[in-house]
Amino acid sequence: MSSQRLMALGLRFYVVVFFAYLFLPLIVMAAATFNDSRFPTVTPWDGTTLKWFGELAADGAMWQALTNSAIVATGVLLLAVPIGIATALFLNTVQSRAKPFLYALILSPLLTPGVIIGISTLIFWRQWGVGGGIFLTVVGQATFIAAYVMLMVTARLQRFDRTMERAALDLGASQWQMFRRILLPYLRPAILSAAVIAFLQSFENYNTSLFVVGYDTTLTVYIASKVRTGLTPAVNALGLILILVTVLLAAAYEFKRRREAARVAGV
Amino acid sequence: MDGSVRLEEVVMRFGDFTAIDKTSLEIGSGEFFSFLGPSGCGKTTLLNMIGGFLTPSEGRVSIGGEPMAGVSVNRRPTAMIFQNLALFPLMTVFENIEFGLEVRGVDRRTRRATAERLLSLVALEGVGARRVTELSGGQKQRVAIARALAVEPRVLLLDEPLSALDLKLRQHMRSELKAIQRKTGITFIYITHDQGEALTMSDRVAVMSAGRLQQVADPMTLYRQPATGFVAAFVGENNRIEARVIDRLGERVRLDAGTLGELEGRVGDEASLGGGAEVALYVRPEQLRPVAAGTSGDASMGGSTLVAEVESVSFEGAWLMVQARLAGSGEALRVQLGSEVSRSFADALVPGEAITLGYDPAETVVLPRDDGPQVDEATGEVVEATDV
Amino acid sequence: MFRQLAARFGGPLSAAILALLGIWLILMVTLPQLQMIDYSLRPNLLPDQRGGPEDGWTLANYATLFANDIHRAIFFKTLWSSVLVTLLTLAVSYPLAWYLAKVATPRQAALCILLLIIPFWINEILRTYSWFIILAFRGPLNELLLMLGLIDRPIRFLSGDGGVMVGMVYAYILFMVFPLYNAIESLDDNQVRAARDLGAGTLRTHRRIVIPHAKPGIATGCIMTFMLAAGSYAVPALLGSPGSRWFTQIIYNWFFEGGNWNQGAAYAFLLLVLCIGFMSLVMKVFKVGLGDIAK
Repeated sequence: MSSQRLMALGLRFYVVVFFAYLFLPLIVMAAATFNDSRFPTVTPWDGTTLKWFGELAADGAMWQALTNSAIVATGVLLLAVPIGIATALFLNTVQSRAKPFLYALILSPLLTPGVIIGISTLIFWRQWGVGGGIFLTVVGQATFIAAYVMLMVTARLQRFDRTMERAALDLGASQWQMFRRILLPYLRPAILSAAVIAFLQSFENYNTSLFVVGYDTTLTVYIASKVRTGLTPAVNALGLILILVTVLLAAAYEFKRRREAARVAGV
Repeated sequence: MDGSVRLEEVVMRFGDFTAIDKTSLEIGSGEFFSFLGPSGCGKTTLLNMIGGFLTPSEGRVSIGGEPMAGVSVNRRPTAMIFQNLALFPLMTVFENIEFGLEVRGVDRRTRRATAERLLSLVALEGVGARRVTELSGGQKQRVAIARALAVEPRVLLLDEPLSALDLKLRQHMRSELKAIQRKTGITFIYITHDQGEALTMSDRVAVMSAGRLQQVADPMTLYRQPATGFVAAFVGENNRIEARVIDRLGERVRLDAGTLGELEGRVGDEASLGGGAEVALYVRPEQLRPVAAGTSGDASMGGSTLVAEVESVSFEGAWLMVQARLAGSGEALRVQLGSEVSRSFADALVPGEAITLGYDPAETVVLPRDDGPQVDEATGEVVEATDV
Repeated sequence: MFRQLAARFGGPLSAAILALLGIWLILMVTLPQLQMIDYSLRPNLLPDQRGGPEDGWTLANYATLFANDIHRAIFFKTLWSSVLVTLLTLAVSYPLAWYLAKVATPRQAALCILLLIIPFWINEILRTYSWFIILAFRGPLNELLLMLGLIDRPIRFLSGDGGVMVGMVYAYILFMVFPLYNAIESLDDNQVRAARDLGAGTLRTHRRIVIPHAKPGIATGCIMTFMLAAGSYAVPALLGSPGSRWFTQIIYNWFFEGGNWNQGAAYAFLLLVLCIGFMSLVMKVFKVGLGDIAK
C-alpha cells in the first residue's frame, strides 16, 4: 500500500510542478517588463522602471498593427459567423448520402496547418490581382474560423425542439417569420459565444496571417517581427497588457457562461 | 363559420408502408370529434393531413367546403395543440398567445386585448407576464389552448393533449375542454388512445386500427352496437365466444357454441349472417347475471346460460369482478356483478367454485368472425386477424 | 438538397444558406487548395512566358526537394522532431490528464481546468516569447543552473532544436491534455478498482486497462500535436536559430525571399501530405475514425 501512497503523492507533486511550469514563463515575462535592462530579462535586475510602457505607447507601428488586427477581427466576424450559421442550418436540415463527404470537407480547415491555409489563399487570390492585405487576411482566417462557429452553433441547434417550428407555422407564421422570431432567438446565445470566440481567434492568429497580411501587419505578426529585430522590453509591456486583458476577458466570459448555463437549463 | 372537415378517399403512404388506407369521412361544423385507437393506428397521421403537415398520397381534404390541396400549413384555417405543447420557451405567456396575431400584423392594443380575453376564457387571468417555463403542466396546457384560439381557427386539432397530465388534472381538463368547445363553437378534432376521454367528451368517435376506420358513431352506439369485432373488444370490456349460426329470425339468432351448448344472441344489420355462418358472440361482463345452477330455458333470461369455474374475484367497491373459465372450452370469461348479489353469494365465490350465468340475448352483439385486427383479451394488445 | 432546405426555411433564405456554404467550401476551402497544387506543378515563369511553351505540368518543383540536401535534411528533421515533440507532449500530459480525470475531486478538476485554459487564452506568440526570455543566454534558467552549481558555463538553449522542441511542447500541451482527459474520463472507475483489487500494480493497470480505453483520445491528441508542430512557424522562428530551421521557414522563404511561389507551393503540398499521412497512419494504428476527432 505504501507504494500506492508514494505514487499518489508523486502525482500531486507532479501536478503542482506542471502548473508552475505552465505559469512561470508568463510570470517571468511579465516581471521583465519592469526591469530597466535593454535586453528583456529578469537577471540581472537593473532597477525597476515603467519606461517601457512609455516606449510602447510611442510606437506608431504598434498602434497601426493593433488597428489592423481590430479591423481584420471585425471583418472575420462579419464573414465567418454568417457562414458558420448557414452551415449549421444546412447540416441540421439536409439528409443526403453526400453528407459524410461534406462534413469532412467542412472540418478540413480545422485540420489543415495554418500556413497551408495562408499559402493557398495567397495563391488563389493572386490570379484576381488581389495581394496580401486586410481583405486577404480576413478571407484566410475566416476559412477555418467559420468551422469553429459552425461547431458551436450546431451544438445548440441540435437541442432545438422542431415541434416549435411546426407550431409557429401552424399559427400562421411564414417560414421567414418562423426563422426570425423562433429559431434565431433560440440560437442567440450560441451565436454570441461564437462571435466572441471568432473575434479572439482572429486577433491571436499567426500562422495563417503571416502569409496574407502583406503590409497591413496584424498585432501578432508585429510582435513576432519585433522579437527578431529591434527587441526591447517594450514587447514585454505589450505582452503584459495583452495578458491582463485576456485574463479579464476570460474571467468575464466564464462568469457569463456559467450564469447563462444556469438560466437556460430549463429551456 | 363553416368548420366542417371532409376527407375523400384519402390515402397516405410512406415508401411502401401504407399508413392510411382509402379513408372517407365527414366531420360536422362545431362537432367534438375524436379519433380513438391504439398506437400506430394512423390517427396522428390523419390529424397531420388535416393540419397540412402531411400531403395525402391520394384523395382530397376539404375544410369548410374548400379544398385544401396546395394550401400550406400556415394558411389553413386550423390550429394544433401539440402533444408536447411546443410553447415558445423564451417568450412570456402574452407573447406566446399573441404570436399568431403578431405575424398577421395585428396592432399591439388589439393583440393584448385578445390575449387577456382568452386568458380569462381558459381561467388563467394574471399570468400573462410570466415566462412559460415557470408554469405548471396544467397551466401550460391552457396557454397552448389560448394560443391556438387566438388565431380564430375553424378547426382545432388536439394531439393527445392530456396524456402528460396526472389523473385528477386530466379529468378536470376534460370538462374544461368540453366547456370551451361549447362556448366557441369551433370544431374540435381530438386524438387519443384513452377510451374514457374519447367517450366522455365526444359527439362522435372514429375507432381506428391499422390505418382504417373501424366504426364512426356516437359513444353509446359504439358501446352498444359495435360494428366490428375490433370495436367490440376495444371499446370497454367484452367476452368473445365463437359459434356457428343455426338459424335466424329477424334480429335473433340461435348459435351452436360447441361445448358450450346452444346460445342466443342479437345480430345487427349484418344481412350475410345466415345459417352456417361463423360468428363471434359478444357478451359484456355486466350483462352476465348469476342464475340457479342447472337452469336453462328460463323465459325471463331468454334461455341462454353459461357455466364457468371461478378463477379469481376482486372487489372493486361498486362491483365485483370475477375472472372465470368457461366449462368445456376453458376460455376466459369476465363477469361484473353489481350490488344486487347478496353477501353470502359473494362470499361463496371462491376459486374453483362453479357458477352459472345467464344473459339477455337482446343486449348482446353477434358479428362475423375474421374481422381484421382483434384485441387480445389477455394482454389488451392489438393482433392481426388469423384465419380460423 | 435545396428542396429540403426550402421545405424548412423557404426559398430566399435557403438560397442564402447555399450561397454562403458555396462561397466558403468552394471559394475559400477547395479552389485555393487546388490552385496551390496547380501552382506546385508549374514552373516559375516570368509573366510574359506564361501560357507559352514552357508552361505545363511538371514535377520539377518536387524534385528540387529531394535534390537539395539541406532542404531534404530539414524536411526529415521536421518530421522526426515533430514526432518527438508529440511523444514528449504525450508523456508530459498523460499524468496530468489522469489526475484530472480520475484522481482530483470535481471541484479540484474544475479549478485545474480553468487554470489550464487561462494561459491558452494568451497568444501563442507571447507564450513562446516568454520561453525566449527564460532560455536566453543570460536568462533566468541559465542563472538558476549556474547558481545551483549544476553547470559551469551558460548553455546556448536557443541554438539547435532543443529550445524549439521545448517551446513546442509548451505551446501545444493543451491539445494533448484535453483529448486525453476526455477519453480517460469516460473510463469506468470500477475497472481500475477491479484491476487493483486483482493485484495489478500501477504500471500494469495503466498499460492494460487505462491506455487501451484512452486510445481515441491518445490518437486525437497525437494527431493534433503533430500537425501543430510540423506546421508551426512561430516557435521555430522565435526560439530557433539559422542552424535549426524548420520546414515551414523554408516554405516562407520561397514565397517572400526567393519569390518562387511555385516552389513554395510544392513544398507546402509536401507538408500537407506529411500531415495527412501521419494522421491516416495514427488513425489506422489506433483504429480511430474522423468523427472521433471532432472536438
